[in-house]
Parts: sequence; structure tokens; C-alpha cells
Amino acid sequence: MNKFWKSGDPFIWLTGVALMFSLLMIAGLMYLITAKGLGFFWPSNLTEIKLKDGSALLGEITGHESVKAHDPDGQEMTIERTQLKIGNRDLYGLDFRWVDDNNIENTSYPQYAVALERREWGNMYGFIKQISEGGNVLCTGNESCWAVLESQIPVYSGIYEEIKGIEKGVIGGINREIEHLRLEIRGEQMGSGRQDRIKELEAEIKEQEARYQEQEEKLTALYAEFDKEKIVMTSVDGRDKEMPLGNIVRAYRPNSMSWFQKAGLYASKLWEFVSDEPREANTEGGVFPAIFGTILMVMIMSVVVLPFGVLAALYLREYAKQGTLVRIVRICVNNLAGVPSIVFGVFAVGFFIYGMGSTLDSIFFKEALPNPTFGTGGILWASLTLALLTVPVVIVATEEGLAAVPKEIRDGSLALGATKFETTWKIVIPSAMPAILTGLILAIARATGEVAPLMITGVVKLAPHLPVDGYFPYLHLERKFMHLGFHIYDVGFQSPNVEAAKPMVFATALLLILIVVVLNLTAIITRNRLRKKYTTSAV
Amino acid sequence: MTAQTRFKKKEVLQASPGIKRRKLADRIATIVVTTGGVAVILCIIAILLFIGVETVPLWKGVKSELTSSFFLKESPELASYSLDSPNTGTFPFLASGMDEYKEIGFVATKNGELYFLSLSNGKVLKKEALPNLGETEIRSSYVSQNNKLYSFGTDDGRIIPVRTAYNVTFAGDKRIITPQVTEDDILTIGDSPLVRIAFEENDGETASAGAAYTAGGELIMKTVAKSRGLIGGGGSDEATHNLTQTLGGGKVTALEIDKSLQNLYVGTDTGRIYRYNIRNRQNPELLETLDATGNSRIPVTALGFLLGDRSLVVGDEAGSVSVWFEVADTDSPGGKVFKKVHQLPPFALPVSDIVPSSRDRGFIAADSGGNINLYHATSEQKLMQLKTDGPPVMNLSFAPKGNGILAVDGAGKLYDWNVDNPHPETSFKTLFGKVWYEGYSKPEYVWQSTGGTDDFEPKISLTPLAFGTLKGALYALLFAIPLSIFGAICVSQFMHPALRNTIKPVVEIMAALPSVVLGFFAGLWLAPIIEKIIPAVIILPFVLTVFTLLSVFGWQYLPRGIKGRFKEGSELFFLVPVILLGVLVSLGLNAAAESTFFGGDYKSWFYNVLGMQYDQRNSLIVGFAMGFAVIPIIFTISEDALSSVPKHLSAGSLALGANRWQTAIRVVLPTASPGIFSAVMIGLGRAIGETMIVLMATGNTPIMDWSIFNGFRALSANIAVEIPEAPHGGTLYRVLFLAALLLFFFTFIINTAAEIVRQRLRKKYGQL
Repeated sequence: MNKFWKSGDPFIWLTGVALMFSLLMIAGLMYLITAKGLGFFWPSNLTEIKLKDGSALLGEITGHESVKAHDPDGQEMTIERTQLKIGNRDLYGLDFRWVDDNNIENTSYPQYAVALERREWGNMYGFIKQISEGGNVLCTGNESCWAVLESQIPVYSGIYEEIKGIEKGVIGGINREIEHLRLEIRGEQMGSGRQDRIKELEAEIKEQEARYQEQEEKLTALYAEFDKEKIVMTSVDGRDKEMPLGNIVRAYRPNSMSWFQKAGLYASKLWEFVSDEPREANTEGGVFPAIFGTILMVMIMSVVVLPFGVLAALYLREYAKQGTLVRIVRICVNNLAGVPSIVFGVFAVGFFIYGMGSTLDSIFFKEALPNPTFGTGGILWASLTLALLTVPVVIVATEEGLAAVPKEIRDGSLALGATKFETTWKIVIPSAMPAILTGLILAIARATGEVAPLMITGVVKLAPHLPVDGYFPYLHLERKFMHLGFHIYDVGFQSPNVEAAKPMVFATALLLILIVVVLNLTAIITRNRLRKKYTTSAV
Repeated sequence: MTAQTRFKKKEVLQASPGIKRRKLADRIATIVVTTGGVAVILCIIAILLFIGVETVPLWKGVKSELTSSFFLKESPELASYSLDSPNTGTFPFLASGMDEYKEIGFVATKNGELYFLSLSNGKVLKKEALPNLGETEIRSSYVSQNNKLYSFGTDDGRIIPVRTAYNVTFAGDKRIITPQVTEDDILTIGDSPLVRIAFEENDGETASAGAAYTAGGELIMKTVAKSRGLIGGGGSDEATHNLTQTLGGGKVTALEIDKSLQNLYVGTDTGRIYRYNIRNRQNPELLETLDATGNSRIPVTALGFLLGDRSLVVGDEAGSVSVWFEVADTDSPGGKVFKKVHQLPPFALPVSDIVPSSRDRGFIAADSGGNINLYHATSEQKLMQLKTDGPPVMNLSFAPKGNGILAVDGAGKLYDWNVDNPHPETSFKTLFGKVWYEGYSKPEYVWQSTGGTDDFEPKISLTPLAFGTLKGALYALLFAIPLSIFGAICVSQFMHPALRNTIKPVVEIMAALPSVVLGFFAGLWLAPIIEKIIPAVIILPFVLTVFTLLSVFGWQYLPRGIKGRFKEGSELFFLVPVILLGVLVSLGLNAAAESTFFGGDYKSWFYNVLGMQYDQRNSLIVGFAMGFAVIPIIFTISEDALSSVPKHLSAGSLALGANRWQTAIRVVLPTASPGIFSAVMIGLGRAIGETMIVLMATGNTPIMDWSIFNGFRALSANIAVEIPEAPHGGTLYRVLFLAALLLFFFTFIINTAAEIVRQRLRKKYGQL
């Protein structure tokens, strides 16, 4: 036994526990997020649970746990219970329900049980009773109506797209035009006050308003079309619910689907997630605007951070006289990478938004005041904040790259008569390019995952418009935007129905992790290649 | 040949401008890079400067400026008022006030006339006479807290309340302010002249109370409850009480009634304050007699309420100024005592008047020598001192927005001061120290920046937030340090380099996980689960230790042949199933452990035995999540430090017969310890600045309690939550900037220390 302790092995193994525990935590976290994030899209079977009291429930089983409770005699006991997503929020009020396993009489998977994804009120689980059009019953019963349903949903999706196109595109455009004209009138009133010009503009507004009316009529017609056919669903407890077919996004009968059919549906849901807009207070639908906002913000940031970061690094490494001052500056720059992101956010609020933004407003957007244009959070300010946050990363990485370029190469170039600029531009920078790119990728990875400074500089839970659209000047830097990281925070913590939103948050988290990890892996691989290259070239 | 020479010559000739151009380009590039580089670096440094500059106004004092002053008698309308004997008895001007824009002021005269005059030139704009005054004269006046109700006590024993209003209209861009006066219901106290009065109406104007001290030496209180009938009319129910008996012979020098008609305060020349409960209109009772001046020969000379009418300011003849309010006290029978809480810097002369600000817990007070002090009660500061030309101040009023002071001195001169006092409540003490806020039983560190009511006082101590930040960082490090440093020792000392090269990038990727994901995971997934298995979490380390030792034991008895097949260190992967088993066993023992150690219910056990309340989102959860974020940082840096310890040191140790563990702990670890220190420092820096995890995984309550089962509120999360709602340039906005500055300094100092240590270490390794 003495030998056992003396060998030191137990301690070594205990350090091993620390390491393995850390690794297991990473693995566990990744597994959980992946499983929960991806599992969310799988169409699970609809379970009908008959309770001992005679009532019945239909829904997806989402959880199982054992809890402590007290039996009637006050004796402590554990109860097994099952969580069921019962949907039908318009009928039941709640999406989820816990059922004590003791109370379950039996469970079954009814073949005709239909799951409807709706534009409002969340999912509906039940059975089809009939489909009617203006009082005429088109079909009754599960089997015949299913065919009608399947054929009609794409039709209504088409109408829905058309309505959305008019509302957002055409009418949105008209509204913007009118707003623009109004501002111009105000500008005229505040400035030169040319009455004829104002008259002209007012006439234009009239014209636009007429166009608006026209579109409005078209919309009314479309809406009438949209609400024409109604479906009546019967819930498992026998209650009927009528709704327009247009309200249905997707319908499926998971209990009678094959694995391949389910896989197809899974793929379509996954696609919807990354390509569609959010529904139901962000708890359903897709996250496309958030992906778009994240990427656009990172792109604007890159455009700003790359030249400035490289410029600063070039100065520090190639042009500045190396000495104590430069060393201090270098330590400062290094340390800035460790300054909390929220501090940069606070700076941005004070300097960009209230400082520069308000100044810009008072010079260029006077007519819109007191409504701020740039004097409030927006994608430009958020991007600039992240650029400030990540510029030390780029500086440090670029400097490293510049330092790794062998002095002989530089001397050779200078000896051949090239100027310092030519040497830097044509010899040094190309050799340091992989390092610069590594720095940029690391900066992007950091920026993608950052949320705190964005919360106060322009991210919103739901942006009505993307920052890029078809109207001049196409890129709207002053607009607020959506962001994947903030989406996680908002849906997970500010949403009224957290339980229903959780899977969505897991999926978003998975997406965000995926983006960040891929970017980081790219950086690591680039860095390793770079190291290899220089170790070989130095020999 | 010649052609070739000519060609060469030509080339040289052409090259010359080329070289010039290249040189020019080189020079331009140098200038661009230098200016650009310096500009970028300066910009970065300017961030700190900018944040610092935004907080400067918090420390700046009050600025004041005498915008105008003139003798009232210069106006023809006021010339007739005699000022020959300036004493309180005969002074003709009884009250003064001004509008919100500080354009128009008024003075009320003894004969019941209100003169509205332009504050810039003293021209009388409007004159209004009190319609129901009759033949008598005004003897005393009282200004109610909200500054819109002025009451006058007459020589024939009546109290006449008067409201002033200023209607603002615009003619083009010009602002026109029209003053208006309306008289309220008159309260008749008796027949003898009223020397001192107090009159107050409640918010709904359904009840009012007046108190008066008459020339005959009687203290009389009268209350009115108006009942409004559904169809107009309605009656009023009056009750009169003579309180003279309760005074014990002192002369009344000051009277105050609060706006919710709860208490009447009476100051006397015997240095006492009599506090009455007047909630029951039929039966006012004397609650307590307070020795306000500490000496029965020093009379109370002035009383006044602070905003909210819960704190009473007392000024006495010795010049002392103090603030009193009701404080919870378990020893007293009522559970509450009214006591002196703040003592403010005193005057040298008797205090003559006290006027509160309607914006904050500040007030102005004047002495009989013409000095006016601006105080802030909660921070116990004297913010500013003003002075008249010499005569005592007869009327004093505060601008409705707290940005101006109006005074009339004994010589009839009116002074209009402009006051710029944006942050009266901030001092080093209120921002970092314990402050005794109104309604609290003792001085405390409190952060509560916004409240529901108009008279809410923001409480802005940064200490609980800094405490929260440090608490979170501490628990995160408690979790992260053992795991990461032992992990680093394991990887660098006991593992094959090939394994090391795969494990390190994995951990580095972990560092890149967005903190919002960790925060969400901890707050929504982990917190509810941990809540159920706290006993298992507590026994897990012990179970794991036992299991590990058992497996080492088993490993040692394994045949050498099998052992030899493993690459050095890879046998440790056997620990994966061991750990999983350990976790499962701990979970299985959860209920058993709970009933054995915690009496069946750990929450009530914690509460009863340790006095700890269990919150679902607590420091333990933050410790896990933030520890998770910090582990990779500490791990990578300390692994670097450990593995770059020169090999000959450990080789020497092993050659002398030390085993691997002894070498690692006694030789390698001490040598690398500065590097590990700097790793921990950088980890600490990250934990301090982390925002999303603390925002999502704690309850964000700003309490100061080290308990691991409570939440906290960190500086960073606080900024993120509150800055969107903070008005630009306001106190909260600047205090949040100060919080950011604090965070900046925290992390900057920590990181710099770490960097310096690391550079020293590099030098040391070079010498070894």
C-alpha cells in the first residue's frame, strides 16, 4: 500500500480526472446542444394518452422525469411523469402538460393523427373533420380530406407569399417613398421654403397615396381568397376548431410516415429554419434575418478592422523606432484584447451614438428630428464597436506574421534597390498574408460570438426590415438588425413562452457554435500551415 | 553598338523620373503608415480617455451665477412698500416664487397682493390681489412642498391657500408665459393673528389640514374632509383641535405638515420638535417629543421637508442643520423611531429658512447673516454657498427644476441665481460607501437606480455591483483553477506529445464558444437540473476521488504486457468510463445523500442550519458556466508555461530518483509558477468582464452575500441592462460609465500584471 502512494500514480491519475472531466464537459455540452438542436426538427410521433379518469391527450412526448411528492398519508414518494407537447394553444391555453405515469391507462399512436404547423397559435394536433368553402363541404373524414389538404397547402403558401410580397415590398416601398417626400417637404419648410417645390412634393404624395389605395384593394382581394377555404379539426378530446386553410404552414401525419418521408420533412424544416423569417414572437419559423444580420455586421466590421489593424501593425513593426515607448504601446494593445466587451459597448453608446450619431443627424437628417436616424443604435455602430473590440486581435496576429518574415528576405529586397515601401508591399505583406488572414478570422470568430456590446448598440429582437434591400441606397447602415447571439438571449430569456421556445434556442445555439467553431478551426489550420511554412523556409 | 549605348542612355534618362516617383511613393507610404498607425493607436487609447471624460461631471461641483439682482422698490408699483425697519414683523414681502423657465417671479406683499415680475429686469408684469382678504393684513406664509400651493395666515385668523400657475403659449418661436392665481377654500382658525402657519392638501384635494400658532400663544389645528356628492355640491367635514396643552410651555417657532396628511411637526424655542399623528382627523395624538437641538436653550428656528415629505430638515439657532426621518427600530414599542440621521455642515449664525428641491433630496437653507447654502441631504454634502449683499434673507425659493434660486433680502433686493447642479447626489461616499437612505434602518450599500414614484431617490452605490463581479469571478475560478491547472500538468507532464497536440486544439476551440451559449445553457438547462441534484453535486468530488484511486489500484495489478501497449498518458482515457460511472453513482446516491446529510430536504436544511436561501440561478451555476469559459484560457497559458520549462531540470530530477509526480510538483511546477499565476490572472480578467453568462445565469439581484446559493448582480451585466434606459448625460448614465471605467481598470491592471510576469518568466527560462 505504501508503494501505491509512493509511486505517485494516484496523483497523476487525479490530474487525469481533472483533464478528462474538462474534456467530458466539452463533449457533453456539444452533444447536448447538437442533439437538442437537431432533434427539434425531427417529426416525432403523435402519442395518444388515455388517462384513468377517461380523458385523452394527443401530442409529442418531450420529456420524462421523476419528482418527489407526498402521498395522501404524507409519506414521501417518487413519481414518474411524462411531459407532453399538446399544442392547440387556442383550445388549451398551454402548449405543454405533465402527466403522472400512474394515471396513464394506455398509450397509442393513431394513424390519422395530424400535426398542423400554423402561422398563428402554434401547432395543432388532432384529426381532420371536414374542409369547406363558403358553406359547401368539400370533403369529410380523415382520408379524403388529407388529399385536399396536401394539394391546397402549396396553393395557399403561394398566396401568402404574394400577400407578403405586396405588404413588404410594394406597400413598404410606397410608404418609404411617402415618408421620404414628407421629410423633403419638412426640409424645404425649414430651409428655403420654396412654395412651388412643396406643392410639387405634395402632389407626388397624393400620387403615391393613390397607388397605395390600388395595392390596398388588391390585398383585400387576396385576403378574401386566403380565407376562402376552412378546415375543421377535431381535437382528441372531441372539441372542434375551425380555421382558414391559409393559416396552415405545413401538415403531416407522423404516425403513418416512413423513415424516408420523415427525413424529407426534416430536411424541409431545417431549410425553413435557416432560410425563413421568425414567426410567433421568434419562437417558431426561421432565423434568416438573424443570420443575415450577423453576417452583414461581421462583413462591415472586417472592412473596417482589416486595413486599420494592418496599418497599425505595420507601423509598430516596420516603421516605428523600436524602443520602450513601442513596447509599452504593444503591451497596451495586447491588454486591450482582454478588456471586457461591454466597456467597448459603453464607449460606443457615448461616442458613436450620442456623439457622432447625433452630430450626423443634426447635419444631414435635420428634417427627421427629433426622431434619430444615426443618433440611435444601428448596424454601423454595432460593426464599428466590434471593429474596435477586435482590432487588437488583428494587430497582434499581423505583428506576429511580420516578425516571422526573415530579415534576409527584407535585406535582399532592399539590396536589389527596392524602396522600403516596395519591400513592404511586395515582399513582406505577401509573406505575412496568412498571419493577417488568421488574425482576421480570429477577429471574425470573436465578433460573431459577441453579444453584450451589441445589445446596447443596435441589435433588436425583431427588425422589420433587413439592412439591405432594393431601395436606394440599398445598404441601410442606420437600421437596427437581428443577431444570432442576441436571438438566443432574447428567445431564451425574454420570451413569454420559454418552454416552447427552448428547442428553437438550442437550434440557434448550434448554428452559432457551428459558425464560430468552423471559423476558429480555419484560423488554427491556417496558423499551423503558416508555422510549417516558416520552419521549412528558415532552414 | 551605338544604338545599344543610346538605348541604355535613354533608359537611364527615363529611369530618373521613375526613381523620383518611387521615392515619392515611398515617402507617401511612410507618412500614411506612420500617421495611420499612430492614429489607430491613439484612437484605441482615446477610448479610455473618452469614458473617463464622461464621468468627470460626476465629481464636478455646482456652478452658480447671479443672473440678475435689483431692488424691488425700483419698480414704480412696489416703491410704496416701506423697508425702513427690516424685521420679520414688519417686512412687507412674505413669499416669493418663480416659473419653470425662470423668466417670471413673484413676490406676495403684506396687503395681499401678488406682483409678477420679469426676473431679468424687475418690471412688474401683472398684479393680482387676493379677492377674499378683506380689510386685514397677511401675517405669515407657508409654502407647500410641490411649490404650487402658497398659504397665507392673516391677522384675522384665517389661512388663505393660493395656487399659482404659469400658462405657456407660443407665438411663433416666442414663448409667452402668463401667470395665473387661484384662491382655494379658506380655512378659518380663530380670530387672533396667525404668527406661524402650515397648510397642506392631499393629492386628490379631498382633504386638507392646517395648523397655526396664534399671537395669543395657542397652537390650533384644523382639518377638513371634503365629500363630493355625485350631483355636484357635497359638504365638508371640519374638525378643530387646540394642541397648546401638549406643548409644555414652549413657543412655536416652526410648523410643518406632510403632503399625505400623516404628521404635524412643531418646532419650539425650547429646542424641541413635537411630532403629532394627524391621520385620525378627529383625534390627533402627540407621538413623541424630540430633543432636536440637544440643548433646551437653543431654539429650533426652521423646519422643512425633503422631496417626498418623509424626511424633515431641522435648522436651529446655533446654525446646525440636520435631517431626520423614521427608522425601523426593534427596541421601540412602535417598531419605528424618528431620529436624526444626517448632520450637515453648519452655519455660524441661526438658520432662518429651509427650502427643499423638487427634483432630488437637496435643499437650500439660509442663515440670518444673508448666507445661503445648497445641501444634499443623503450625501451629507454642502454643495455651494451664496451670499446676499449683507442683509438677512427674508424669502427664499428654489426653481421648480432645481436650477435656480430666488432670494429677497432685508433691504428689499431680489437676487436671481442660476444654478447648474446636474449630479448633486454623487460623491465618493455615495458611489462606493455605505449610505443611509430614507426609510432604511442603517447605512447600507444599495444599488437601485430606478423606482416607480416621482419622489424615488436613486441609490447608486457601485459597491454591491463590484462585489457581485468579484463574487462571480471567485466562484468561477474556484471551479476552473483546479480543473485547468491539474489538466495542464497532466497534459504537459504525463502525456505523449502526440496526444497533447490533439487535446490542446480541442480545448482552444472550447475557448471560442460564444458566452451567450454558455449563459443560455447554464440558465435554462443546467440551473433547473442542478436544483434537483444538489446533494449529488456535493458528493461527486468524493465519489470521483474514490473511484479514481480504485482504478489506479486496479491498473497497478494489470500485467505489464497489456500496460506497455498504451502510449504514455493514453491509459488516462480509462478515466472516461470511470468518471461517467462516478457521475451515475452520485446521481443514484442523490436521494440517499439528501436524506443522510440534509435531513431529506436540502433546501430547508440549508435554510435552517446554514441560514442560506437557495435561488435557482445562483453563484454555483455561474461558477460552472463562467468556469467553463475560463478553463481553456488558464489551461492553455499554464500548459505553455509548464511545457516550456527546460527539459534538463526534469531530466535531472528523474535521474536523481524522484518519481514523475515528485518531479512535476517539486521541480516543474515551482519553475512555471509565475506563468501559472499569469494564466490565473488572465482568467480572472476574463471572468470579471464576462457579461452574458452573469446576465443569464444569475438572478441579477444586487445583494451583498457570499453565499454560493445566492445570485448577484455584476458590473458588466448591470451596464448591459441599464444603459439603454439611462437618459443621455444623466447621473445614471455617467455612473454606468464609471462602472465601465472600473471594469476597464480592473482588467487592464490584471492583464498588465500578468503580461509583466510572463515576460519576466521568459527571461528566467532563458537563463536556466
